[in-house]
Amino acid sequence: MKVGIVGIGHGRFGRRDDVTVQELAFEPFKEALEDAEIQKREIDATVIGSSPEYHKQRSISGVIAEYLGMNPQPTWLTEAACASGSAAIRTAFGMIKGGIHDVVAVLGVQKMLELSTPEILALMGRVGDVQWESIFGTTFPGYYAMYANRHMHDYGTKPEHLSMVAVKNHEYGALNPKALFQKAITLEKAMKSEMVAYPLRLYDCCANADGAACLILANEEKTKKITDTPVWISASATASAPMSILRRETLTSLPSAVEASRQAYKMAGVEPTDIDVADVHDCFTIAEIMAYEDLGFAEKGKGGKYIEEGQSKIGGKVPVNVDGGLKSKGHPVGATGVSMAVEMVKQLRGEAGKRQINGAEIGLTHNVGGIGQYCFVHIFGR
Amino acid sequence: MELANRNAIVTGGSIGIGAAIAIQFAKEGANVAINYRKHDTEAKEVVKHIEALGRKGIAFKADVANFNDAQTMVRDAVKAFGRLDILVNNAGITRDSVVWKMTEQMWDDVITTNLKGYFNYIHAAADHFKNQKYGKIINITSINGLRGKFGQSNYSASKGGIIAMTKAVARELGKFNVNVNAVAPGMTETEMAADLPREWLDKALAETVMGRLASTEDVANVVVFLASEKARHVTGEVINVSGGQYM
Amino acid sequence: MTFKIFGKVNFTPYTKVEKFADALREDKLMGTRCKECEEIYFPPRADCSKCMSSDMEWREYSGKGKLATFTTIHAAPTGFEDMVPYTIGVLDLKEGGRLLAWVDNIPQEELKIGMELKAVPQIMEEIEELRVVYVLRK
Repeated sequence: MKVGIVGIGHGRFGRRDDVTVQELAFEPFKEALEDAEIQKREIDATVIGSSPEYHKQRSISGVIAEYLGMNPQPTWLTEAACASGSAAIRTAFGMIKGGIHDVVAVLGVQKMLELSTPEILALMGRVGDVQWESIFGTTFPGYYAMYANRHMHDYGTKPEHLSMVAVKNHEYGALNPKALFQKAITLEKAMKSEMVAYPLRLYDCCANADGAACLILANEEKTKKITDTPVWISASATASAPMSILRRETLTSLPSAVEASRQAYKMAGVEPTDIDVADVHDCFTIAEIMAYEDLGFAEKGKGGKYIEEGQSKIGGKVPVNVDGGLKSKGHPVGATGVSMAVEMVKQLRGEAGKRQINGAEIGLTHNVGGIGQYCFVHIFGR
Repeated sequence: MELANRNAIVTGGSIGIGAAIAIQFAKEGANVAINYRKHDTEAKEVVKHIEALGRKGIAFKADVANFNDAQTMVRDAVKAFGRLDILVNNAGITRDSVVWKMTEQMWDDVITTNLKGYFNYIHAAADHFKNQKYGKIINITSINGLRGKFGQSNYSASKGGIIAMTKAVARELGKFNVNVNAVAPGMTETEMAADLPREWLDKALAETVMGRLASTEDVANVVVFLASEKARHVTGEVINVSGGQYM
Repeated sequence: MTFKIFGKVNFTPYTKVEKFADALREDKLMGTRCKECEEIYFPPRADCSKCMSSDMEWREYSGKGKLATFTTIHAAPTGFEDMVPYTIGVLDLKEGGRLLAWVDNIPQEELKIGMELKAVPQIMEEIEELRVVYVLRK
């Protein structure tokens, strides 16, 4: 029995000082209902993906379901750090596959900017092992910077390669009205920007943002009834890896991504070369380069070459992050995974406008939690 | 033998309380380095006495007020002994006067010798103590640093400053297993005292409840206690040795 | 002594491996080894995640190792702003395991992945509170 996507919604990512977390969730939910052309009462449950540490409101799924008028249907929160959105998708996918519910709304919701930047840095930095690492003042960019230094040492990846990723994603973000940053940047600007954690500079790092996105999933029967242009989830796979950088087997690859994508390709019956369009987790530019390799788009160590040759641009081998990626959209932690899926649906429906990959039939999302302890890979088809 | 195989520096160790401390240390098993500014004959006598007790003794010519002299002496003492365990800051001078007649020179000389001199030696010894996670610093102050004395605004200031410095340094070095304490003698039978007018000594005697002045050994014995393992949990403390002259 | 003295800040004062901090205070780096399946742990663990045993023995480490990677933090989290910029390194330890620590007194330009460094226990000196860490030195 297949699981399809019948409705999508996506709010503008950015600083949302004008809304509470539940008001934020309302926007894409309403959009998704209208997109699906269904009534609220047809939805059996809501699953919210979010990283709760940033909100003053405890247990946000409760207030969100209340605000959306979705009581007494089941609702709860799924959390996997930056992959919380995909965790919510997988949960909904599983329940529909298991026949427990027919139609489930998935909401990725995040307010981050109620905290100051050092507070956010401290909070996000505790995504490694706080017992042995955070006590030395590690930060989220710091971890990926350490991956970058090792990748540069082992494979000759250059700072230019990192900046090329930023340039590409900003170029595409300028075409995305929902992105935080909608302006292209030059390579020079990226390479000269302020150092955050050597070698990662300001433009190598995704920005904190508020935002929400929504997907409505349904079982095969309902999907065919609701829409003429269904997009199917042909694979949902996930894997974990040690949380601590001190217990990882490699510092230049995310084992959770390698394993999750392996399982996803198998489930969907496709190869990396079959992917027409992909959204990967570019929390930092090096993360996108590592993703090319982990997902099998490029050989191990050749991620720098891949971006240099333009293979991840529209027209390349596998276009990556043509919605601007986290780099340009911003990274409202819980919303990102759902935002990626929304883009895949748009692409497969042919509704991506200037960003459209012509004839896209198979899409992939790669959503990583924290510094690689979780990875969710979803494959979408027509 | 409370200080067996320990190595000590005693500043101003050629005469008075300093000499008594140096000799008592040697009796308790320690090697001792002293400095002298001008009393070279007396310094040599002290060294002879130390050696007669079977310990190593060295006399350095050094002015405690001179920062570099202090660094050099500590470095050389460590080289000679192999290690430094105890620092007794004792060297001090007086330049008495009522405050309105006290010259700038009188003020500066006393503050520099008595207070900065102690800093100079503590600064030089601190790294050794920290690295070996062991040290004893005893700063000789005075009850006049606690109660103030007529005609000794400079001396009292320096001795009061020593007490505050003792506590601050105790806080900094405690985590490295270094004890830092002060001993505050009252009027003591020394050369410095012998120069004073008779009625001053009588007045001091009357202030004590024990009816006698401190001997230099009275002070030295308390310094030995603070330098020994018996006092390993005492730090940041000021012990008066004044026969009740000041309570 | 409790674990709370370990690190510039400490988030896990309650732990089964408290002994690590006691040993660090005495200038020793200690890891654990599972007596049942011989898996070694640095940083130390009281439970074996491989065979589920809790029968561990403590072993001293030399602190020697090779630099696996590093970075210099310019944008610091709360509690570390006074140190910026600071360099952190990950050391692959000679006896097995890894640790993360500040690099002490080596300019970033001189750091090379693969170079030999030593993790050395250190009391944080210029603060009043007693805090112990380890740092990477040549």
